[in-house]
Parts: sequence; C-alpha cells; structure tokens
Amino acid sequence: MSPRDATSTTYPIKGGARQASPFVLRMLVVLACLLFCLAAPPRAWAEGAGGEQAVADSAVDDEAGFGLNGFVRNNAGTARAARGEDLGYRIPLAEGSTLVLVNTPDEVLVYIDADAADAAGFSPDSGSDVEALRALVEELDETHSRGGALLSGEDKPWYVTTDPEVDRGAYRYRFCVEAAGGRYTSVVPAGLAEGEDAGDVAESLGIDLGDGVLWSDNAAFVPASDVAREAVPSLIDQAREFFGGIDYRPFWVSLKTSVIALVFTFVLGLVAAWKTMGTSSRLKGVLDSIFTIPMVLPPTVCGFLLMLFFGQSTSIGRWLIAHGIDIVFTWPAAVVSAIVVSFPLMYRTALGAFEALDPAMLDAARTLGWSETRIFRTLMLPLAWPSIAAGTVLAFARAMGEFGCTLFFAGNYAGVTQTIPIAIYFQWMGGSSAVALFWVVVVIVFSFLVILFINLYTGHSQAYRHRGLTRAERKQLAAGTRRRGADGAPGEGAPSGDGLEEQGGDALVIDREALRELLLGDAGAGSGGSAGDGSSKGGR
Amino acid sequence: MTDQMVSRRTFVGAGAALAAAGALAGCNNDAQAPAGSAGSAPAASTDGDAVELQVFAANSLEKAMPEVQALYTEQTGTTFADTQFRGSGDLVEQMTAGAQVDVLITASAGTMDDAEEGELVDPDTRVDMFVNDLVIVAATDSDIQINSLEDVAAVEGQIAIGEPGAVPAGKYANQSLASVGLYSDESGENGTYDASIADRVNAAQSVGNAAQYVSTGECSIGFVYTSDVYRYDGLKVVYTVPAEAHSAIVYPGAVASTSENPDVAQDFITFCMENSDALAIWSQYGFELSE
Repeated sequence: MSPRDATSTTYPIKGGARQASPFVLRMLVVLACLLFCLAAPPRAWAEGAGGEQAVADSAVDDEAGFGLNGFVRNNAGTARAARGEDLGYRIPLAEGSTLVLVNTPDEVLVYIDADAADAAGFSPDSGSDVEALRALVEELDETHSRGGALLSGEDKPWYVTTDPEVDRGAYRYRFCVEAAGGRYTSVVPAGLAEGEDAGDVAESLGIDLGDGVLWSDNAAFVPASDVAREAVPSLIDQAREFFGGIDYRPFWVSLKTSVIALVFTFVLGLVAAWKTMGTSSRLKGVLDSIFTIPMVLPPTVCGFLLMLFFGQSTSIGRWLIAHGIDIVFTWPAAVVSAIVVSFPLMYRTALGAFEALDPAMLDAARTLGWSETRIFRTLMLPLAWPSIAAGTVLAFARAMGEFGCTLFFAGNYAGVTQTIPIAIYFQWMGGSSAVALFWVVVVIVFSFLVILFINLYTGHSQAYRHRGLTRAERKQLAAGTRRRGADGAPGEGAPSGDGLEEQGGDALVIDREALRELLLGDAGAGSGGSAGDGSSKGGR
Repeated sequence: MTDQMVSRRTFVGAGAALAAAGALAGCNNDAQAPAGSAGSAPAASTDGDAVELQVFAANSLEKAMPEVQALYTEQTGTTFADTQFRGSGDLVEQMTAGAQVDVLITASAGTMDDAEEGELVDPDTRVDMFVNDLVIVAATDSDIQINSLEDVAAVEGQIAIGEPGAVPAGKYANQSLASVGLYSDESGENGTYDASIADRVNAAQSVGNAAQYVSTGECSIGFVYTSDVYRYDGLKVVYTVPAEAHSAIVYPGAVASTSENPDVAQDFITFCMENSDALAIWSQYGFELSE
C-alpha cells in the first residue's frame, strides 16, 4: 500500500516530464525547420532538382548558340603604374577573357575578341545576337554585383565592337592591353600619342581617368557547347553547402571556455560561500559586496577593469606582463572573463543554500567533534546540493552567454576567443545574417536543453520530499485521498490514487493541489523560520 | 515504476541529443583545427617557412582581405592568424593595449599617425595602399533623393554615421557635414551635430555597422565608403560626397614595430599592392589601389 501511495504522490512531477518529452521533440523539429527555411537560399524553392544549369560564373543562351564563362565584375581599377609602366586607369582581366564590358557614365561599351566572336557565330551587327548577349551579361552582372548598382536598371545605349581600342569623348578605352606580366583594360586620355605618359597627360588636361569607368565586366565568350555546366543542386546539396560553410569553432571555444571557467567558478564559489558564512557580520558584508559586484556591474566595466589590471597601460599590468602573465587578447583572458561574470551566481546560490540549513544541525555535528571541513563535505554539501546544482547550471549558462567582458578583454579572434555570442554579433554586423541566425538557433536549443535539464533534475531531487513523509502523514494522506475519491467519483469506488488519476474531475485535482500545498507549505515555513533564526544567531 | 523509466529515458534522450550535436559540430571542427589550434592569438613563430602573420585591418576590408590572404598563403605558405577588422581607432587602441600585430592597415592618415606617435608601427614602412570615396547610401527600395549635403538635414529617419573617434568614415562624414554647417568641428572629431539632425544620428562602432544599420532598415541613410556597397546587400548609393568636403581618404599600411617577422610583413604589403591576382580581388570589391 505505502509504496504505491508514494508513487501516486510523486506522479504529477513525473507526469510533467512525460508530457514534456513529445513537446520537446516537437519544439526541436520546429526549430530545425525554421533554421532550414531561413537559411536555404530562396532560389532553392524556385528551381526543382534535376536537370543542368550553367555554373555560377557562366551563362548560356542555347538558342543564340553562345555563352559566357568565368564572368568577373570589377568594381574599381587603379591608376597605379604596373611595374613602373603607366597604363592609365587599369582594370585587371581574368585569364582567358575575350569579352570586356565597360560601363561608362553615358553608355555601355562591349568589346568581343574577333576570333571568339567568329568561333561562336556572333555578329556585332545582328540585332538579335546583341539582344541575346545583353540578356546574358545583365543576368551575370546582377549575380556578381555584390549589392552594387545593376546594368539592367540603366537605360543606356549599348555599343558592341570588335575593335580593341575606341575613343569615346575625352577617353580612349583599350580593352585588352598586355603589359607588365598581366592583361588589363585601360583608360587613357583620347588621342594619346605614342610614348606619352597617360597619367601626366590626364593631369594636364584636368581629367580623372577613373571617372571614365563606373565598373567593368569581363568573361570568356564561347560557343554554347563550351559553357561550363553542372547539375542543378538539390535542396540537400544547398543545405550541405550552407552547413559545411559555417565555421563551427565558436561552439568549441564557447564550450571549452565555459567548462573550464565552470570548474574554477564551482570550487571558488563554494569555498567563498563557505568561508563567508563563518565570518563576522561586518566582514561578511564587505566580502559579500566584493563577491557579488561582478553580477551587478555591467560586463563592459568588468572587462575594462580586467584590461586595466592585466594590460600595458597600468603599472600592475606591466609588472604582471614582465613576470610572464600576458593574457590580454588571448584565450586565458576569455576564461578569466567567464569566471569573473559567472562567479557571483555560484557564490550567491551556494551561500543562500548554506544559510538555509538548520544551524542546530551543524552545531550538533560540532558537538560530535567533527571538523569544519568534514561538516562542509559530509553535511553541508549534500544537503544544499539541489541549490548548488541549480547554481552550477546558472553559472555555466552565464559563462556561455558572456559577451561584453570577453569582447573587451579577450577580443574577437576566430577560433581562439570568438565565442558564440561574439560570433553572432560580428556575423550579423558583417552582413552574414544566415550564419548569425544559425548560431541564434543553436543557442536557443542549447538554453532549452539546459532549462529542461534543470526542471528534470529538480523534479528528480525533490521527489524525496514526498517519499520522506512520516508513516502517520502518509496514512493521513492516503485516507484523505480515499475519502475525497469516494466523494468526487461516487459509484466508481476506485480505491487507489492511480485509479482516480485517470478519471478525476477538476474538483479532485484542486483538492489534491491544495493538500500538497498545505503539506509543503508547512514544511517550508518551518525550515524557513529556523533558518532565519540560525542566520541571525550565526551572525553574532 | 513506468514513470521512473520515462523520466530516465528523457534524460538519456537529452544526453544523446547533446552528444549528437557535439559529434555533428566535431566533423567540421577537425578541418578547421589547424587554424584554430594556433593557441593564443599572438602566435607568430619564427622558424623558417611556418610564419603566421597577424594583420589588423580597417573594417571596410573585411570581405576582400581574407581572399587576398588566401591567395598569399597559396603562393608563399605564410599563414594568417585571425585578422581583426574593427574601426581603425579601435585597432590602434587594441595595439596600445598590448595586442601582437605584424601588419596594420587603417582607413585614415590620422589613425596611422596615432600609431606612429605611439611607436606601434615602423614609420619607414608606411605606404598609402588604397583610396576610397565617401558616399551616402540608402536601402535599395528607398526613394530618398539627395542632391547636396544640405539635403541630409531634410531626410526623415535615422542617420548612421561611424563614431568619429574610432571610425575614420565617421570622421570624414562629420568633416563633410561641417562643410555645410551641420557639424560644429571642421576636424570632424570633437564637435556636436546641428540641432536639426543631432537626435537622429546613430553612432556606429565600425563603418560596416553603419552600412548594416541602413541595409536592415534601422537607419534611412548612412555615410559609408563606396567599397562598402559591395559587401552588404540591399544598399544603393544616393549621393557621392565631393572629395573636397573631407580630407583625402587613404588607407595607409605599415609593419608593426612589435612584429617578429618584419620582412614577411613587408612582403605581404608589397604583394597586396603589386600582385595582379591580388589587384583582381581588390577590383572586384571596389578598392582602388593608391597611385
């Protein structure tokens, strides 16, 4: 009878866990889907799997019979001389490029190598060929724009030529110059005579050669059959590419940093709480303030103070560096930051738990001649364990989430001090929102697991409260349950708590809740009162 | 008893999920371990081929620089510790605080002057690497029209400007605003904004942040470099600030005085400026090499 009663009274907590587990699964699935939807490029939904497409740097028009390979968009050039040779304003050409497009302020100039045009059957005079080329170039220009302005949006005349050099307005465009070990498109002043220095002439004319080009594209102009193609990537390929492209080091840095910080925090926090408890009230106030202040201070202030303490700018820091402790902007600095910010959480929860212990019990142990260390190890630690465990988890979570102090004191070195929170911030600021989002989801899932763990663990460790009832209390509880069961469900006559659980109405649940509250409430008030007495006694 | 089992199973499930997450991440971690396992950041070794350079570069170089570094690693075998891309003022502060650096590239002559004064770099190695233009950007779908700097006061919404102490782009922006009386100090650093915009200026901690604020819609316009348009999506140039309105935008580079491999550091700077493949990368990201 009594074991079954014990089970029935602990049931609500276990039931909570049982309900939680499908819920957890569902949440994880939802989060995974969310991540996938947001991370996968929208293109993935537009195109189905299967079939072939031109690779990212290529485009093809099968009907017109030509295409482009190795497309590059150059958003700037340079007026810097190439190995001492002044080429005017030059823009590098990719290897094998036979098509050059120069977007000038007034028009779009396109040069196609005469041989390449012949090989692909392209005629600069054919309107349809030029239209087809224009569509190809505009498509690639858009995918290679890196967020810059687009060719397609502009209504400029197109000038297609096979002449390697044209004069337009104040500028002469040399589409394909081989010089100084490279190939360039270069802009020089119009009418530049042989042997004249482009830069000097431009200066004397008062023109900026760079103004003659907004940007320039180049590519290899090839017959359609030579265009590089690949299978259209499936959704899975794209997902693999995305997840394979993520730098996972922040996860390991975070984990490594917080675990090692936790070891220090755990030991230091417990010892600090234990030692603080035994000191006089005035000293205790001082110690308590010092130990707790990192929790109250903004993390950047902690970082700043640590920087002053260990950095080059103060004499203490210089002394430490001279004696081999040079940790600013290194991984140990990240650990120190995590310890400093997580320590107060461990310390406060441990102190609270120790103070809640019945001092009479500790005194009783002292009368038995136990040493303080033994009391701490065999009495205080086990009794305060649930709170200590919760404090440990909180401290770990705090260490994982540390941002301001770490950034200040340890910097942002990928793979060394870049933890997940820092990675999120810098990825987002660097424009990689998808990666930032990935880490956000990782952190949410991780936090979720931590909370789940706390709940399960607390439920588990609190079960003793119900098992630990005296025989008289259990009898009373059982009698009460039976009586209420009979009242609440007449005719059913279910004798056990388990049977009632399946069909009990609301009234029954409220009654049971009230009963539990009553029992626990009494116990809580009793221990709270004695702890209060104890702390005031201990204080003096 | 079944209840006990369920709870235990949940425990095991949670544990298994954690382990799986760990294993998943572990697969990729191995590949990146060589870069990460360099240990502490200032780990420039001196033995022969295995040189690792620590570069501190202006925030605007964040996307282009890693590609050039990869090219350099491919050609010479020299590797790079995680490069720091922050506001130039922050970089100099970080060096003052004791960070180990080989190459410093800032986005203004002023910040490099500070580094020289603090004896953080070797003045003989200083060279102007890039030039850039200051532009006002807005979100691609915005219909904001700006025809002169005076129009800035009339724009509705927040204005993203780099914090002038740390971000050279912010200083150039303030100099430009000072030229039309919207900022009180012509040097661009120690003044206040005109009342018409003062409460709408969002001080960003790097030029990239300013660009991101505009790109995500928090701010309607922002002062950034031309090259920033090419590293953030959803930005368009609505006005190019005349070069006369601010001091010339140059990116000086120099070898740090604490560098353990000054020759390699110098070689990397030269590579950035002379190599034609490197030039191709700078060109794609809209960086113009200085003459």
